[in-house]
Amino acid sequence: MSFDAANLLPILPEIAVLVTASTVLVLDLYLEERNKGLNHSLSLLGLVVALLLTGFVGGGETQILFDGNLVRDAMSDLLKGAILVVSLLAFIYARPWLKDRGMLVGEFYVLGLLAVLGMLIMVSANSFLTLYLGLELQALSLYALVAFERDSKRGAEAAMKYFVLGALGSGMLLYGISMVYGATGSIELGPVAQAIAEQGMSNKVLVFGIVFMVIGIGFKFGAVPFHMWVPDIYEGAPTPAVLILGSAPKIAAFALAVRILIDAMQGLHADWRDMLVILAVLSMGLGNLVAIAQSNIKRMLAYSTISHVGFIFLGLLAGSDQGYAAAMFYSIVYAVMATGAFGILIILSRTGFDAERLEDLKGLNDRDPWYAAMMALVMFSMAGVPPTVGFMAKLLVLEAVVRIDMVWLALVAVFFSIIGAFYYLRVVKYIYFDKPAEDAPVLATTGGVRVAMTFNGLSLLALGMFPAALLTLCQSAFV
Amino acid sequence: MGFEKFLFYVFALITLWAAGMVITRRNPVHAVLFLVLAFVSSAALWVLIEAEFLGIVLVLVYVGAVMVLFLFVVMMLDVDLAALRAGFIRALPLGLLVAGVMAVEIFLIVGPANFGLEAFPPPDAAPADATNTRDLGILLYSIYIYPVEIAAVILLVAIVAAIRLTLRRRPDNKSVDPARQVRVKKGPDRIRLVKMAPEVEEPFGASPTTESGETS
Amino acid sequence: MLDNYLPILIFILVGILVGVGPLALGYLLGPRRPDAEKDSPYECGFEAFETARLKFDVRFYLVAILFIVFDLEIAFLFPWAIVLDELGIFAFWAMVVFLGILVVGFIYEWKKGALEWE
Repeated sequence: MSFDAANLLPILPEIAVLVTASTVLVLDLYLEERNKGLNHSLSLLGLVVALLLTGFVGGGETQILFDGNLVRDAMSDLLKGAILVVSLLAFIYARPWLKDRGMLVGEFYVLGLLAVLGMLIMVSANSFLTLYLGLELQALSLYALVAFERDSKRGAEAAMKYFVLGALGSGMLLYGISMVYGATGSIELGPVAQAIAEQGMSNKVLVFGIVFMVIGIGFKFGAVPFHMWVPDIYEGAPTPAVLILGSAPKIAAFALAVRILIDAMQGLHADWRDMLVILAVLSMGLGNLVAIAQSNIKRMLAYSTISHVGFIFLGLLAGSDQGYAAAMFYSIVYAVMATGAFGILIILSRTGFDAERLEDLKGLNDRDPWYAAMMALVMFSMAGVPPTVGFMAKLLVLEAVVRIDMVWLALVAVFFSIIGAFYYLRVVKYIYFDKPAEDAPVLATTGGVRVAMTFNGLSLLALGMFPAALLTLCQSAFV
Repeated sequence: MGFEKFLFYVFALITLWAAGMVITRRNPVHAVLFLVLAFVSSAALWVLIEAEFLGIVLVLVYVGAVMVLFLFVVMMLDVDLAALRAGFIRALPLGLLVAGVMAVEIFLIVGPANFGLEAFPPPDAAPADATNTRDLGILLYSIYIYPVEIAAVILLVAIVAAIRLTLRRRPDNKSVDPARQVRVKKGPDRIRLVKMAPEVEEPFGASPTTESGETS
Repeated sequence: MLDNYLPILIFILVGILVGVGPLALGYLLGPRRPDAEKDSPYECGFEAFETARLKFDVRFYLVAILFIVFDLEIAFLFPWAIVLDELGIFAFWAMVVFLGILVVGFIYEWKKGALEWE
């Protein structure tokens, strides 16, 4: 068996993340309590190196390596970059929270980095096996992160729910994979697509497999009716864990959907399109309506996630390159927005206090005008108000849907996002027009967090006004 | 072929019976033991389809390790069986309906129509010296090397997560560390003489409280 | 190939016979005259104080799960050991990486004290 070291080039980012995680894990054992900050610096360094390596090995022709288990293409380059940037922000925001509660330990960073590694593996998977292993790596790390505060009953309950439903979703996906393998005789995406093109719609086994795969994807995205875990976990898990699991994994879930539905199952588009229509309409409807009734902001953001997932599905079900690019744009933008929103919640928290209720945001403008402005930007963007990027993302997806003559679907989406705008703007009202609580202290944050949040908030504005660069990258992934 | 078929039905029946017992036993420890039986007989079924390595791994890993873990977990939890079974009868019709629909669907799809002998004729019996451990090894360490390394990372996550979530230091622990005992040197490590004022024993019967009461 | 497993089948049958036989004989031949006093649970002549099922310590769980991890590693080592001379140096380094990742975990659990019972 000969081996070409050049095969390792495209997985250099993954190797960098793995090496960082291993180093942090071992180094943490020998660090004294006051030096634990080194874990943080090392993890950030590792992510930056991985980001640089992604840029270094990216670009150019699509490469398929490791006997068809791995692919490096325009989509994997862009999504890897997005995942790394979002995770970088998440780690920066998480640090003060962890430090205040004495949880600035190596394990948090190790599990976080390994979750990132799982996502990187997912986005560049070229066979069902790699895809599934990446998904499991990410999911296992996230289960542990949700239970990270081990004396918290709510955290344990959330982790249990997440674990059971996550395992159920993975099981569904695996069952679907086994059906597709039975029908096509391959677990590699390319040969599966080829076999489907030859057999077409006639094969019932394939359609049966697709049903289970779509259910699995629905579980991982948290789309209605497979959304039950989302609000409980967002509410019960420690905020830094929610920050990590609510942002970048959506990009990875998008990659999962694209690899399965488009790279392998494009030939059966007519079959999975209708399923996605149902999931999309239900998600947008239920997500936006129930979010209004929430007084807990973490739950509200959970339902808002569900509604955004509906929009991502809109782009996917369009079945056109334009729709896929729009969905990709949407999921990246959503991850950036979610990081910003949970980042603000962490900034508002302090020792012994977690910002969870909507009232905790009251009068944020009086306490810190700059963070208030950033949070307002995030909320405007989630609501889809121009000129923020949220508006662009929604517009692109709707355009794709209208192009395939599903105007009714576009109207439904617009209708629900108008309803949704209500609860996002309610948050803005709390920030600007209400007085802060009497005992609300001045926000104590570090310079790094402020820089990261500024970058996060302003990027939403910048991308909204100049979306062309990111959009071109998204479009180049589907040609 | 006849004897193999007979064995298949024997082991299949044992598997089904054991699986049924797993979900109906009242005692969770019994349920776990029946699960062990179900695994062992499935391992026999796998050997019958000439997947010998997988059959042995099933016994080695699942029966040998995972079931021990299950037993520990069952014994660790204070399971209140009456409470667990409270909703059983009420949820039974719906459960049966869902299970029935699934079973019919699976039969229609996986059944003879799509995976019958016409589509998948039985392969020739392997020769006596065939070893599918070798075949698996060749595949695992050439084509599937990337997934194998990812599996190692998943095991690493399992180690880290298990230790982080369950390992606790016990402050009331009084055991001695033999390594530190051995390292004790002659001199101050072994014995330390302390000078202190002599303590006079109190007269019999006089408790400290009454004494302090008298002096004040 | 299945012929190789015939001795194992016979072994299983004999094993079941040896295990079940004495119990069955005792059940059939022994006298049984149960009454309420005989069947009641007792603790050295006292009434039972509490249920016999004590909660296990969570440390057992940790030991079991660490055992599973390395048990699975064995499952990967067997096929590797058989094909090593065919696949050569590539398979060797592949296993070095595989074990290297697990050794990182092993160092971690050792230094953390997860292997000590205290």
